[in-house]
Amino acid sequence: MSDDTTRREPVEKVIELRLPSKLGYERVAMDTASSLARRMGFHADRVESLKTAISEAVTNAIEHGNQHDAAMKVVVLLTARADELIVHVADQGRKQLDQECTTPEPKIEDAFEREDKGGWGIWLIRELMDEVEFTTAPSGGNQVRMVIHLEQ
Amino acid sequence: MMLEDELTVSTRERDGVAIIDLFGDVTTFAEEKINGAYREVTNKGARFVLLNFRQNDYINSAGIAILIGIVTEVNRNNQKLAVSGLSQHFQKIFRMVGLAQYAEIYQDEEEALAGFRRLAAA
Repeated sequence: MSDDTTRREPVEKVIELRLPSKLGYERVAMDTASSLARRMGFHADRVESLKTAISEAVTNAIEHGNQHDAAMKVVVLLTARADELIVHVADQGRKQLDQECTTPEPKIEDAFEREDKGGWGIWLIRELMDEVEFTTAPSGGNQVRMVIHLEQ
Repeated sequence: MMLEDELTVSTRERDGVAIIDLFGDVTTFAEEKINGAYREVTNKGARFVLLNFRQNDYINSAGIAILIGIVTEVNRNNQKLAVSGLSQHFQKIFRMVGLAQYAEIYQDEEEALAGFRRLAAA
């Protein structure tokens, strides 16, 4: 799943996690990213934003992309650069993400009227991260690339 | 390995306010417990409901959806809802999502009870 920018990174700067597609494992990605981001010098509130964004991305991959098939993996790449942390989350694409779903504008008043009150995950990712890009891997899996900048 | 159910929900009453204590994580696994606690206090006739968050370092979008469900019911039942004990991060998320327009956010339980007293006196 690594794109060209990731492949050029020195190997010691990249952490790779391969998580079972079972809800709860997103915590492992959150904890790892949080630990890395704190060591990189991110402020506590930015670390919290990162944790929320990564939990939503991994949860989407588990629930939608891999349809809760525990044998399918969610791959998370964390790339630490001097001035930013890049997070890639990829699933194995049992179900493809509709591109229209990647730019939602949910409103709470609409949610009151709906049976399903959800649909906040991707919106939260976009609100909390500095750069967000959804793509489809050649293999058909869904990928999201998120970047959070280190502010000095 | 405890990966799923990390929430404890309990209810109590103080000064005419039904307090729902939420210890732990608010995710998709929390739905039955939170809805059950809300139904319980509502069946007892609660007008003022406080969701008192304790040690919640993980609230995700599924948890937010559950809370929007509670707000929907609170509006329908003409109750007043407040929340307390949220970290700065989740206070921000609640404001972003719009939950703060429907549930007053207080730092802690005492502040929330004072807020309800002002409401009751008004």
